[in-house]
Amino acid sequence: MSETGPTGANEPRGTRATLSRRRVLQLGLAAVPAVCGAGLLSGALATSHDVVRAAEPEPAGVAYDPSAHDWAFVMDTTTCIGCGRCVEACKLENHVPEDPKLNRTWVELHVLAQDWTVSVSSPDGGRPSPPVEETVPAASAAPVRSAYFVPRTCMQCENPPCTWVCPVSATYRTEDGIILVDEKRCIGCGYCVVACPYGARYMVPAGDTTPKGVAGIVDKCTFCYHRITRGLLPACAEVCPVNARIFGDLNDATSAVSVAIGEKRVRAMKPALGTRPRVFYTGLEGEVD
Amino acid sequence: MSVHVAGRDLSTDPRVIARALRLEVAATPRPLRIWYGILLLLCLVGAVGAVLSLPPGWEVLGTSPTFEWGILIAAYVFFAITTSGLCLASSLGTVFGIEMFLPLEKRHAILALLCLVTAFGVIALDLQFPVRMVFGAVLSPSPRSPMWWMGVFYGVYLVFLIIEVLSMFTGRWRLHRIACVLSSITAIVAPTTLGAVFGVLASRPYWHGAFTPPAMVAAALLSGTALLGIVFYCVYRFRLAGYERAATIAIPAIRLLLTIIVAVTVLVVGWDTAWGLYGNVPGLSDATAAILVGPLALSFWIFRVLLGLVVPLVLLVLPRTRTPAGLFAASCLAFVGLFADRAIFVSAGQIAPGTAVAGVLPSRFAEYAPSLVELSIVVGALAALALVYTLAERHLPMGEHQGHLVGAFLGSGKPDAPAGSEAPAPGRSAEPLFNGAGGVL
Repeated sequence: MSETGPTGANEPRGTRATLSRRRVLQLGLAAVPAVCGAGLLSGALATSHDVVRAAEPEPAGVAYDPSAHDWAFVMDTTTCIGCGRCVEACKLENHVPEDPKLNRTWVELHVLAQDWTVSVSSPDGGRPSPPVEETVPAASAAPVRSAYFVPRTCMQCENPPCTWVCPVSATYRTEDGIILVDEKRCIGCGYCVVACPYGARYMVPAGDTTPKGVAGIVDKCTFCYHRITRGLLPACAEVCPVNARIFGDLNDATSAVSVAIGEKRVRAMKPALGTRPRVFYTGLEGEVD
Repeated sequence: MSVHVAGRDLSTDPRVIARALRLEVAATPRPLRIWYGILLLLCLVGAVGAVLSLPPGWEVLGTSPTFEWGILIAAYVFFAITTSGLCLASSLGTVFGIEMFLPLEKRHAILALLCLVTAFGVIALDLQFPVRMVFGAVLSPSPRSPMWWMGVFYGVYLVFLIIEVLSMFTGRWRLHRIACVLSSITAIVAPTTLGAVFGVLASRPYWHGAFTPPAMVAAALLSGTALLGIVFYCVYRFRLAGYERAATIAIPAIRLLLTIIVAVTVLVVGWDTAWGLYGNVPGLSDATAAILVGPLALSFWIFRVLLGLVVPLVLLVLPRTRTPAGLFAASCLAFVGLFADRAIFVSAGQIAPGTAVAGVLPSRFAEYAPSLVELSIVVGALAALALVYTLAERHLPMGEHQGHLVGAFLGSGKPDAPAGSEAPAPGRSAEPLFNGAGGVL
C-alpha cells in the first residue's frame, strides 16, 4: 500500500536524516542483534521490569473501579525498533491465531520518500523480524527521506464506529474506555470489521479460539484487559525492549502516558473521522494514517 | 385427516401424498419435468454448498478480514432489494390505484415472499451465529445500528407479506388490503435501512453518504420490475392464469416502469462514477479506479453498463423490440446486470481499505475471489426460488380477483367476495404445460 503525502508546504517536523534504501536495510539488519540482546536483557530483568513499568495497580484489597481509569497508549515511533516482540507476546498472551494474517497488534514500517510518497509494509504483521526493503517497492525507486516503525493496535476510540454498528450490542465500551466483545452475543456478521477505520478487528477462524474458546466471532485488542485490571501492563508494552509502547492511565497526571502526552507532540490517526482514539503517536510524518 | 389450504382440502396421509406425487409427475409435461430436473439439480448443488458452509466450515468462504463481505452479502442485498422492488412496483396498483399495475398483485406477493425468504436463507449461511441474531436483536437491541433497523424492517415486512399472501388465498380481502398498504410502506423503508448499513460507514468512502439509501431503493425498483418482466413474459408465453391481462395490461405496464427505472439507473450509475472521479478522495478514487479500470472493470463495463443498462434500454426504446419477447430479454439482462451491480457495490466499498487490516496490508486493491461453495450457495438460492415459484404458479390459483382491486380500498371498488370466486383462468384449460394435478391432493 502506498499513500501520497503532503507537498513541501507541509514540511514534517523533526530532524531525521535523509536515509537511502541501503541505510534502511542496514537499520533493519542491525536491529536483529539489538532485538536478541534486548530480549535476553528483558528476560533477565523481568522482575524489576514489572515493578518499574507496571500499570498503576489498585491498592491491596480494593476492588478494581473502572470509572477511576482512562487507559491509553502512546506509541513512540522514534524509539520503536520493529523487533516484533510485541506481536509475539500478544499472540501468546491472547491466544491470537497463528495465521500471520490475523493479529491484534502489528508493526508497520513506514518509508517516506523524497517525493513525500509514503510506503507501508508489514510482512506477517512484523512478527518475525523487521520488515525488509523488498516489501517496500515504492521506496526503492526514490531516495528515502525517513523511515520508522509504527506499532498498530485497536485505538479504543471514545466514539467507536464498531460499537455503534453492532446490531446486537455485542461490542461495547467499558467505563475505563476499553472496547470489548461479548463472545456469547457476537453473531459473526463482520459489520464491525468492515466499520473499523483502523483495521483492528478480525474474525476468529474455525479451529482457532479466543481466550474464552469461541471461534467464528470477532476478536480485537483489549489492551490486555485481564492484565490491566490487575495492575499489570498489556503484554505488548511489557515486552517492549525500548519502551516504545507507553501505557497508562490518563486520569493519573503522573502516569507514564500522561507524562508522555505532556512532554511530546502526539497525534491520533484519522482525526477527521472524529473517533477520538486512545492510542496516540509521536513522530509520525506526512499523511500516515 | 386433511388440512384446508387455499380453498382445497389437502390430505396429510403419506400414501395419498405419494400417490398424488406419482400422478403429478406423470401429468407433468416433459419440458416442465426437464425444468424441474435442472432446478432440483442446482438446488442440490446449493444444498451441498450450504452444508459445507455450516459451522465450523467458515474456511470454505473466500472472505478475509481485508474483504469481510463477499458474494453472499451481495446476494443477500440483491434478494432483499428485489423483494422490496417487487412490492414497490406492485404498490402502484395496490396502493396508488393505478389500474394498469393491478394485474401484478398476486404474483408479486408470492415472488416477494420467496425472495425475502431466500435473502434470509443466504444471510443465515453467511452469519456464524444466525440464531443468536434473532434472539440478540430482541434481547439486546441496538437502535443506533442500521443493521438492527434493517432486521426490524425486513422482519416486519416478512410478517406483512405472509399476511398479504395468506389473506389473498383465503379471501380475507379487508385484511389483505391493509397488509398491502403496510407491506408497501415497509418495502420502501427496508431497502433504505439496508442502504444505511453501508452508507453510515465513514471509513468506507465509496459507501459513505446520504446518497446510498435512496440509490438502494432505485436498485430495488429495477430488480423487482425486471423480475416481474421475466415472470409475466412466462405468463404470456405459456398462457398461464390471467395471460390475457398479462399481455394487454401487465406487460405494457412493466415495460413503462422498466424503461423509466433503467433510464434513472443510468443517471445514478453515471453520477456515482463521476462523483468518484472528482477530488481524489482517498478510498473513493481508488474504488472508482477499481471499477473503471481495475479488478471490477470487466463486471462493470460488460455486465453492469453494456448488458445491464445499455442493451435493455435499447430493447425497451426501439419500436421493433417493443414486444413481450423484447421485454423479456431486457428484463433478464437488467436482472443479471443488477446482480453484478450489487456485487460491484459490495466489493468497491472494501477494495481500497486505506489501512492495514489485522496486520495485513493489501496491495493497491484488496483481493477477493468467491469460493465454489459461495457460488454454489448463490446458484442454489436462485434455483430454489425458481423451483418454489414454478410450483406455486402451477398449483396456486393465480387468476385475478376483484378483491385485489384496492380501488375498493379507496372506495371505488366492489365489496368483498368469498374465496374461490376468482375469474376463470383461461390459460389453465388452453395450455397443458401448467395444467397440474393440484386437485388430486
